[in-house]
Formats: sequence, structure tokens, C-alpha cells
Amino acid sequence: MLTPLKRQILLAVFALSAILSTAQAQSLDDLNIQVHGYATQGFLYTTQNNMFTTSSSDGSPAWTEAVVNITAQPIPKLRIGVQGRYFLLGNFGNAITLDWASADYKVDDRFGIRFGKVKTPSGLYNEIQDIDPSYLWALLPQGVYPIGSRNSLLAHYGGVVYGTVKLGEKLGKLEYRAWGGERVLGTDDGYFVTQKESGLDLPNGLSGVTLGGALRWKTPIPGLMIGASDIKDAKWSSVITAGGGALQGKEIINPLNTQNFFARYEKDKLMVAAEWNRLPVSGAVVLAPLPTNPLRIDQRAWFAMASYKVTDRFTAGVYNSQSVDHHALLGPARDSLDWAIAARYDFNQYFYAKAEQHFVHGTALDYDTALNPDGLKPDTQLTVLKIGVSF
Amino acid sequence: MKIKFCLLLLVAAMLPSASQAYAEVLVIANNSVKSATVAKSDLRDVFTGGLSSLKDGSKVTPVLLKAGGVNDQFLSEYIGKNDAAFRATWRSLVFSGQASMPKSLDSEAAVVDYVAHNAGAVGYISAATPHDGVKVLAVR
Repeated sequence: MLTPLKRQILLAVFALSAILSTAQAQSLDDLNIQVHGYATQGFLYTTQNNMFTTSSSDGSPAWTEAVVNITAQPIPKLRIGVQGRYFLLGNFGNAITLDWASADYKVDDRFGIRFGKVKTPSGLYNEIQDIDPSYLWALLPQGVYPIGSRNSLLAHYGGVVYGTVKLGEKLGKLEYRAWGGERVLGTDDGYFVTQKESGLDLPNGLSGVTLGGALRWKTPIPGLMIGASDIKDAKWSSVITAGGGALQGKEIINPLNTQNFFARYEKDKLMVAAEWNRLPVSGAVVLAPLPTNPLRIDQRAWFAMASYKVTDRFTAGVYNSQSVDHHALLGPARDSLDWAIAARYDFNQYFYAKAEQHFVHGTALDYDTALNPDGLKPDTQLTVLKIGVSF
Repeated sequence: MKIKFCLLLLVAAMLPSASQAYAEVLVIANNSVKSATVAKSDLRDVFTGGLSSLKDGSKVTPVLLKAGGVNDQFLSEYIGKNDAAFRATWRSLVFSGQASMPKSLDSEAAVVDYVAHNAGAVGYISAATPHDGVKVLAVR
């Protein structure tokens, strides 16, 4: 079995060799080689709890990202590309990872296939949730798009088939995506923060077979899109250690099914969107001779958002996001309610700035309790400032 | 007083330029494109990466102007987005591995030249720009 690192190296080599092999036959101009990138720097300040494993109550600049990609199109139907990322958010990341590395063969608008390490096109925002220059928000609704688990949920090793089917003048268009492969939750994933604090470590993370599909109906009402996606993950099992390796056992996650339903409407300067998501997880931590510790989560999350382009350069918006774990005990840790007010200003095609204010109630987000030694407060206000550049 | 002055400056910076000139925009295509017309919804999909062929089966590739009044007018009139929102759409596709950025040219003359010499190319220019060697698509 290949480790994630080996897989990444192999995929990068594959992409590079494919580019080089085609380069022998064609000039660089014919290959349509493009290089793009972006970088962002964020600043977080919270009135109460320290969030996202940062010391945000003191004000924290520990949120930096930089992305570079290179793509080539040796023939009109084939694109080959690779994208790398540096990501730092508090204790998350601080490493360069492979975002995606894929070959994409598009037969026509009705059918195409992409394989390698590819973005997982579930939900409204999953495959673009990391692309900060492409949307208004500094932070997407955390119940559906938790930033601490972003790198795990963004992409999978395998493939995606995609296409658009025209339904006729009166019925609009249907975009479909179907995918399969292996999903890998890295050792530093946000889901494992609380486990790590209690002395449990997953040296290999979690990984397993994943299958999914998504439909997006572009309705005959101009600007209205309605969609749904469904992911089925096979049973996952991974080595888990405790007490610095003194105990070794297994963490088992039973097959799980993640559903998303979403809609978006855009008209002129207005955009409204909503999404509902369910993540039911069951499993166990088996660490003999300790008794088996069951894992049960049934998270339901949703958000509704609206934005308006006040001027060509200035956009403002608001969203309400809620998340509830139906298996959690009653109390602030059971749910999270977040009202966010956001603004973005584009200085030109390349530079932009964002400001966002959050009013968070509840502590169901993945808090690092070690960074909150006095206990978590039920209410926190979060201010986010961010600047970005893209080319 | 200083705060009021700063607010005025901020508001002034956000206002669109009053000096923008408006001219008729033509959608032009390489002569390999069979159709003489294109639906506005199809044109929008072509220029936002959602469509790569027209109803007549012609393969098409969008070509952009880097900036300026004609670019802004085309995006506003046919795509329904301003330049920042339009480029944000393409960034979503490029950084998620779904597409390559369309070719972006400095001048209308360069757009005409590129469209004339590349099969399936579709671009936009002002009506006043000479456009021999390309066909004009009527948008309906």
C-alpha cells in the first residue's frame, strides 16, 4: 500500500513526465502552458474562545496560504496539470501539499473524464472551497465546510466523469459528476484535534474507498441552479496509538453516507444560496486492554447566504450557518450558530481585501481545548481580515 | 472632519468612473463556426467555461480582451458580470483543475487577428474596429 507521500510523488512524476513527453513533439506555445497562483494572508481576532487552533483572542496572523499551478494542453481535448499549496492555520498545515495532479480528457460537453488526484465535486462549494480569490467570504460556513478538515475533503485519488446534458429550451441543463477512488484524512485533520488532546494518535490518518455523485440542474429560470450530491465511503480502519505508543489498536469508521442538497440564484448584482448537509458517523476506537470506545456523530448542518455587488469593486454579504450534532449531549457543545457579515474590495484584477465579522454561539466547532485552558465560552465574536493576490 | 473627508474619499473611490465610453460591441468568430447566430445564454456559457460547442456542432474557444471599456461592456451586456466577478469565475475553474484560462489579448486588433487565424475562436470588439477575415455573430 502506498503512503500518501509516495502517491503524491508518483502523481507529480506522472504529471511532469506526461508534460515533458508531449513537449518533445510540440513547441511550448503549442502546449498552451499556463502558470497561475494566488496567496493570502489572514488575521483573526476573537473576543472569547481561541479558534482554529490559533491564539485568536490575542489577535493572530497565523493564517497564510500560497498556491501555484501549471497546466498544459497539448491537444484540444487533453489538459494535464498539477497544483501545489502551502497552508498554515494555527496548528494546522504549515506544509506544502499536492492539491491536485490530473489529466483531463474532455470528449465533448456531454462527457469528460479526469483522473489522478482530483477535486471532489460534492456540495455547492467543495471543489472551490479553498480558492479564496473566487468568492466573497473569508470563511465559508464552518458547519458544512470546516476549514480544519478542508485538505481531507477537497480531493481524492481516483477519477471523476463529468458532463452537461441539455434538457431542451424549457427544461434547462443538467450537469452531472460521478467519482470514485480513495479518500485520505491526514493525521493533522481537524476531526482528530480532540482525539489528539486526549492522547490518541493516528499515525497514518484514515483512508478508504469513496464513491459519489452530484447533479446540478440549471433550471430554465435564468440564474437558478438546484443540486444534490451523495458520497458513500467504505469502512475505514487505521492504526491508533495511545500514551505515546504504549498502546496500539484500531480506529474503525463504519461505511458512511454524506448527503448535500443546495441551491443558488444569481440575478444581476444579487446572489442568494443555501445548502443542507448530513454527516452521520459511527465507529469505534479499539485499544486493548481498554474497553472499546464507541464513536457516534450525527451532524446536520445548513446555511443560507446572500451577497450584493454594491459597486464594481465592492461586494457585501451576510450568512447564517447552523450545525447540530444529534448524538451530542445537550449543551453548548451540541451545536454552533454563526451569523457572518462580510465585505470584499477588489483594488484591481489582482489584489483584493476582505473583512468579516462573525457572531458565534455554541462550541460544536473543532476547538482546541488546550488553547482554551479556562474552558470554552458559549459565545464568541470573531473578526477576520484578509488580503489576497492572484495571477 | 477628517473622518468625513476619509468617508467621502472612500465613497468616491467606489463609484464607477463617469468617463466610461459606450460603443456597440460585436461578437466575432472564426469562419470555421458554421452558425451566423448564437443564443445569449449559450454565449454566456461559452465565456464562463460551461460550453465548448454551439448548437450547430461548431467547437468554440473564447478569447478575451485584457481590460477596457469594450471588455466591461461585453461582460455587462452579454455575460451579466463585471470584470472582477467574471475573472473570479475563471479562477474557480483554473484553481480547481477544471479549465485553463482563456487567451487574453491586449488590443481589439489582436483579438481580430487571433480569431481570424484560429479555428473555433470567438471574441468581441467594438463595431468601429476593422474586422476583415472574421464573421460577426448575431446574438439573439
